[in-house]
Amino acid sequence: MANRTPAIKAEGLSQCFRVMHERPDSIRELFTRFLRQNVEYSYFDAVKDVSFEMFPGESVAILGRNGSGKSTLLKMVAGVFKPTSGKVMVRGSVAPLLELGAGMHPELTGRENIVLNGLLMGYSKAEMLAKQSSIIDFAEIHEFIDTPVKQYSSGMYMRLAFAVATEVDPDVLIIDEILAVGDMKFQAKCMERLHAFRRHNKTILLVSHALGHVAASCDRAILLEAGRVVQDAAVQVAIADFKQRMGLADEEVEMLTDAAATH
Amino acid sequence: MKELCRETYRYRELIWALALRELKVRYKRSVLGFMWALLNPALLMLVLTVVFTTIMPTNVKHFSLFLLSTMLLFIFFSQSLSYAVEAMVGNAELIKKVAVPKLVFPVSAVLSNIINLGLSLIPLVLLTFAMGHPFYWTWIFIPIPLAALTLFTLGATFFFATANVYYRDVSHIIQIVLQALFYLTPIIYSIDQIPIKYRWMFWLNPLTFSLSDFRMYTYYGMLPSFASIAASFVTGFLALGIGFAVFRKYQHEFVFYV
Repeated sequence: MANRTPAIKAEGLSQCFRVMHERPDSIRELFTRFLRQNVEYSYFDAVKDVSFEMFPGESVAILGRNGSGKSTLLKMVAGVFKPTSGKVMVRGSVAPLLELGAGMHPELTGRENIVLNGLLMGYSKAEMLAKQSSIIDFAEIHEFIDTPVKQYSSGMYMRLAFAVATEVDPDVLIIDEILAVGDMKFQAKCMERLHAFRRHNKTILLVSHALGHVAASCDRAILLEAGRVVQDAAVQVAIADFKQRMGLADEEVEMLTDAAATH
Repeated sequence: MKELCRETYRYRELIWALALRELKVRYKRSVLGFMWALLNPALLMLVLTVVFTTIMPTNVKHFSLFLLSTMLLFIFFSQSLSYAVEAMVGNAELIKKVAVPKLVFPVSAVLSNIINLGLSLIPLVLLTFAMGHPFYWTWIFIPIPLAALTLFTLGATFFFATANVYYRDVSHIIQIVLQALFYLTPIIYSIDQIPIKYRWMFWLNPLTFSLSDFRMYTYYGMLPSFASIAASFVTGFLALGIGFAVFRKYQHEFVFYV
């Protein structure tokens, strides 16, 4: 494995947010604060010195409680956030599935959004039109494809987004917690597709609280705590460690086991 | 500047799609749809004609044509700016969730307004004929002032779109400034009506060049001075250089503020 080139390589990745206490939103406010000399900032390290490597064909989950920096880390890998320090290299094409409805315009129809979504990921209109029918087939929204997506249910949104992101056949797929929206049948379909991705030597990086999903679809997991990596191991080991650490907060564990059980 | 051209070319399809989306959303749910791009200037023209022939007659021949020729360009400038200033904040959803070069938003906002301007020139031509005003061969030069104006508009757009990310006051200030600028630019009057000793002040306004040149080609059927054309491009490139430099410097921070 050592002599292969990594698909994702993160080195000392940090993201520091400057939190202004009641950030002045207008010049007036800034001005009055300036006069009173009390512009206050505090700094918050959402992600601190994270390094990891992922190789083609690997599927890695990022685990951690709320606010541990999972989504911030994904956004840096996807290129949405510029890291405060450190660097991240991603080889090949990337399809980020960051949040529900990202890259879709509510006023445009499903069909128009397929093209828009693809263009936002850097594909050409011709490529997207060629893939259009297989995307619609996978998402199973034939009768609503010419309806503005603002009228879609969240399940339909997610199905369309997942279909677009996977149908463009990226080298790296980044998924942030969106699979939970689909029904069981569609989730099974998604899992099957993710397995196919792994077989084709693609790389998957995902964040999910559904530990059942994680166990079934990933071979490795990275555990974050307060923005730092505390565990990077085989998926079962990391999940066990995570559950143990979460033992401190009872109600959260209950929620997690519930979520894992239902999925 | 090289980066601007390269990225614009690379994302041309996306910019085009965003511009069309902008127009589609603008004319959505209206019965006449895109026809409004043509009807707006035609109706504006009707109002101007009535006002300046009956209520406030002037001795400028075909005054409404005189006025409309530059007014359409000013509307392009002011709408581009108003839209683009909101472009970063308005596309917050995309900026926060998709890794996409930020410059596509101001560029597509300006592009959608170029399309609008292009459509609005059709009624201007039709009205020129309808009013019996000569249709001069110099019309073929109109891409020159339009190109210069576009450069300037893009520059202003980059600058104010950046400023508005940090201070939302900018979008309000812009509206007032645009109002003032409308009267400070030779639109309802021509530069020749300004006493010579004050005229230099009007040349400080970069819009004066491209707008007056456009009027020369379309209304007077004359060629503007080379100095005026040169000035329109110098100010255009200068504005774009400064505007884009500012935008480029701050673009990575936008995601935290929108």
